[in-house]
Amino acid sequence: MTWVRATLFACVVLPAAAAAQNLATASEPGSRGGRLVCAQRAEPKTLNPVLASDIASREVIHRMMGDLVHINRGTHATEPALATHWTISPDGRRFTLRLRRGVRFSDGHPFDADDVLFTFEVYLDPQLHSPQRDLLMVAGKPLSVRKQDSHTVVFETAAPYAPAERLFDSIAMLPRHLLEKPYREGRLAKVWNLNTPPAEIAGLGPFRLKEYAAGQHVVLERNPYYWKVDRAGTRLPYLDALLFVFVSGEDAQIMRFEAGETDVIGRVGARNFAALEKGQGGRGYALRDLGPSLEYNFLAFNLNDLAGRNLPRVEARQAWFREERFRQAVSAAVDREAIVKLVYGGHGTALWGHVTPGNRNWVHPGLATPPRSLDRARGLLKSAGYSWDGQGTLVDPGGSKVEFTIAASSSSAERGQIAAVVQEDLRQVGMRVRVVPLEFRALLDRLFQSRDFDAVLLGLGGGDADPAAEMNVWLSGGGTHLWDLGRTRPATPWEAEIDSLMNRQLITMRVAERKRLYARVQELVGAYLPVVPLASPHVLVGAKTGLGNFRPAVLDHYTLWNVEELYWRGRAAAGSR
Amino acid sequence: MPWLIRRLAHAALVLFGVSVLSFAFLELAPGDYLSEMRLDPRIAPETVAALRARHGLDQPLPVKYARWVASAARGDLGFSFAYNTPAAPLVWTRARNTLVLTMAATLAAWLIAIPLGLWFAARRGGWADRAGAAGLAALVSIPDLLLALLLLMFAVRTRALPAGGMFTPGEAGILDLAAHMLLPVAALVLGALPVLVRHVRAAVAETLQAPFIEAARAHGIPTVRLLWRHALPAAANPLISLFGFSVGTLLSASLLVEVVMSWPGLGPLLVEAILARDLFVVIDGVLFSAVFLIAGNLLADVLLYVADPRIRTT
Amino acid sequence: MWLIRASVRRRGLVAALALLGAVHGAVLLAGFLAPYDPAEQDRRHPYAPPGVAGCEPGPCPVRWFVRDAAGRPRLFAVDAPARIFVLGSDQYGRDQLARLLHGGRVSLAAGLLAAALSLGLGWIAGAVAGYRGGWLDAVLMRASEFFVALPWLYLLFAVRAFLPLEVPPETALLLIAAIIGLAGWARPARLVRGVVLSAKERGYVLAARGFGASHFHILRRHVLPQTVGVALTQAALLVPQYVLAEVTLSFLGLGVGEPVASWGNMLAALAQYHVLVSYWWMVLPGVAMVPVFLGYLSLAGAVIESRDSIGL
Repeated sequence: MTWVRATLFACVVLPAAAAAQNLATASEPGSRGGRLVCAQRAEPKTLNPVLASDIASREVIHRMMGDLVHINRGTHATEPALATHWTISPDGRRFTLRLRRGVRFSDGHPFDADDVLFTFEVYLDPQLHSPQRDLLMVAGKPLSVRKQDSHTVVFETAAPYAPAERLFDSIAMLPRHLLEKPYREGRLAKVWNLNTPPAEIAGLGPFRLKEYAAGQHVVLERNPYYWKVDRAGTRLPYLDALLFVFVSGEDAQIMRFEAGETDVIGRVGARNFAALEKGQGGRGYALRDLGPSLEYNFLAFNLNDLAGRNLPRVEARQAWFREERFRQAVSAAVDREAIVKLVYGGHGTALWGHVTPGNRNWVHPGLATPPRSLDRARGLLKSAGYSWDGQGTLVDPGGSKVEFTIAASSSSAERGQIAAVVQEDLRQVGMRVRVVPLEFRALLDRLFQSRDFDAVLLGLGGGDADPAAEMNVWLSGGGTHLWDLGRTRPATPWEAEIDSLMNRQLITMRVAERKRLYARVQELVGAYLPVVPLASPHVLVGAKTGLGNFRPAVLDHYTLWNVEELYWRGRAAAGSR
Repeated sequence: MPWLIRRLAHAALVLFGVSVLSFAFLELAPGDYLSEMRLDPRIAPETVAALRARHGLDQPLPVKYARWVASAARGDLGFSFAYNTPAAPLVWTRARNTLVLTMAATLAAWLIAIPLGLWFAARRGGWADRAGAAGLAALVSIPDLLLALLLLMFAVRTRALPAGGMFTPGEAGILDLAAHMLLPVAALVLGALPVLVRHVRAAVAETLQAPFIEAARAHGIPTVRLLWRHALPAAANPLISLFGFSVGTLLSASLLVEVVMSWPGLGPLLVEAILARDLFVVIDGVLFSAVFLIAGNLLADVLLYVADPRIRTT
Repeated sequence: MWLIRASVRRRGLVAALALLGAVHGAVLLAGFLAPYDPAEQDRRHPYAPPGVAGCEPGPCPVRWFVRDAAGRPRLFAVDAPARIFVLGSDQYGRDQLARLLHGGRVSLAAGLLAAALSLGLGWIAGAVAGYRGGWLDAVLMRASEFFVALPWLYLLFAVRAFLPLEVPPETALLLIAAIIGLAGWARPARLVRGVVLSAKERGYVLAARGFGASHFHILRRHVLPQTVGVALTQAALLVPQYVLAEVTLSFLGLGVGEPVASWGNMLAALAQYHVLVSYWWMVLPGVAMVPVFLGYLSLAGAVIESRDSIGL
């Protein structure tokens, strides 16, 4: 019965009306003109969407490029973009996408199904190693693409895939007329770098490249051929130009914004946010705390199989780490509210599971959130055979003192601070913890190569809201199963259950059922604590008060995801802007 | 002149050694350019391994070095993994900006340090000397980062100067450049001053006690002339050595200041490259600063030779 | 006249020595002078301004010569639950005064050790290079350039990878001093060499050589005394620089990790925009360090000035 309902649901054709209605949501018609200045922490490395893997590059590239189906960062749901509507076959494996007609690239060249075919050929080319290629692999096999007519494309996956059309988000449609020649000549990896003349780059996004000054800025200008129009019939985007300036330090970025030299600021650190709040009002900017991001910070113990690695010290300690009650005691002893208060100055949220409340469609609202209790922690340790010596130091059943290190990336101030709080918390139950700041890559090397660590403070998340993005983190054999890498089979029954739940949710087409499965994963993580979830930083942003339609989101490209709709209110009054 | 030729040959040798050892150090350091990609759950470990092979990161050290030498011969100086372009043009455009900044700062620092040091030396124990010493002690206890930050804060609060960058977008005038340069140069000069002034003062104070100065003073030569024409040249030797070094010190300080002040020089590029293990960009940056440092020392040795012809340095 | 000037110089020396003695004494007595332990967090009072925090209903008089909860003697305290923060508290509600005093132990020890190490190495290298000249000079000076130019950061990354994660604070301290000290010999070496080069060509040195004095004798009696000025100035400047250098090492995990206090860590915490604009008292430890560094500078100056009179 459930299965039948699921198929029915999957067959629904999204009406074209949804497209029109979607454009109108929440956004008000604006007026054209002006430019927007944003600071970037790093300069973009490339303008080639196939190869870009860093945030700065993607932030610029996605302002110039368009995708077939787009995830609306405000609603977390998919919406029509270059595809006006799509159908899904009853078995959940075939997608038929109808392309928008009359769309042109930013150089005026028309866009059709051949561009789509070419794009996917490039992204799926195993020689090119696009970072996005793995997203297009379902059950280990690449998506297959074929053209039905000049404006209809059919995709097929090797297995049913629940998140379905989310695959197409951020796959930038490439201009075949410009890139096919370099691609056939094997030069695609070399085109579209920062020194490419603007005339040789074309995309389907709201802006197009105008100028790049090494180490200083990138200027984008309005794409006159952009397909979106607002309710009043004005062709978007409203802004004439978009300027990215490179400001490497976060402090410097804050000051630039405060001084009014930049118009928008995204992902501000909690402490800097508090400093900016003081100047709010008088200085013509407004700040917003959007609540928890998708990022979850956690403490992970080394549960790797270390046989043959000659790490006797860590192996001896793993007896503690593998003890469920030890991990539960750590979780009970940690003062999550103190992390929120001391580290995030209130702009953070305590976590007991790995899905943050920011991921509002998938978070399990019924998850247990036991408050801090040193008594419970001590009780758990006692029941596991631990005791305390004269100085109050915790001693394990074998008589050894419980001492271990927490490694934290020294490039993340906040994580180092969380570690300092945790260290003091655990001291109160007699654990002697030392915090070791490590340079990020040195830390990763210990995680992935040498496995020489006791515990590590890390943060993950920030990709898509859908659980499909987390597959490799939670599957026992997953490549990002950081605390226990390279297992061929799950080590415990509850890990086996997580594996099976994760695999089932990926092929279950009914959303409610997927939610139920994923909620169970969250319960298991919360109960057995393969990692101890700690806290999630809030997404903190700011913009000049005159910026219209500014609707920041907790998904990536936090502030600029709807850049085509941004406009300056009362431009005449604002003067130069 | 054979001296200079031999000196240049030595410099080339040092550069060769630096390049070899830099590769070795980078090889020893844990992690590589692609490590961070392993943390993205949406990218398969196999993809990372394949990319590693394509970038040649799985090759042994001698192969990497040979590839770099071959590419240096073509004028590319290696390849930036992050930017996906040859490293030389990338490094060079930014190195130019760093040179502008460092030269200006070196010049300014010495132009301020010499008269200040002379003045303090002449007024040893006086109020000016004491106040100066206190000020310098305060300066020396301020980290470069903090100094740059304070200056930047000053600029933002007063709105007197642009808060970082090299040019206002759309403008490229010399006045605009000067306005943007003022802050980073000030940060560098203030950071370097304590060392320079203390050394000038100590060196000059030492010569002021020499008999020939006493004699000159007895002959009624005015103090200013005495300081500039007699004491300073006599105290020049250690200062010239220091000059050679100050060039290198200012260069490395400038990398940090550039990051804080968003100066489009080597600083931001290298900091990113170092943390990202963008191998060839790092090597090129290291070699660039080595060349600069060696040039500074060479210049110092030449000056030493000119200032005191009795000295036959090697 | 000469007598008066000598005594003035000696007074400078005495003042500098007294200041430094007081500072080092205070740092050694940190456990007594500071009312709390440097790692003790008071989560009710993060970033508390200087003064008594949590004094309700009051009054909270300051008590002198008391014993704390663990029975250790303290110079002063207020009754719990109120807390006295003379220099304010940091992000975790830790007493800044305690951190300043305890941190001084680590930082001054590391700074002094490292400065002694690089100065010693640099002095020897510079004197030998300058006096002997020839190929030895060339080798030593090229080595110094080599040393400065190499990307040490990566070697430190590597060193960190080979060390066990747990480095006890004492070992960490020696490690810091050794790394910083070894890395820093180049500048003193070049400066000393510059002085030696000109000193050995002075008339009286040439004369001494003519009389057949040994190299050792000439170096000790005529050349090295000339280098005292530059070397002492270097020493006084190196200590503060090395105290700051410890921050960089902490970044790599080679410094003294949390929760151990160090001046470098305190200054690093200060160098953040939000701290500068929001919590002025975080600057106080930085201000407190100035007289210490000034003490070293004046000590060096006073020693140089008075070395005739005290026969150095």
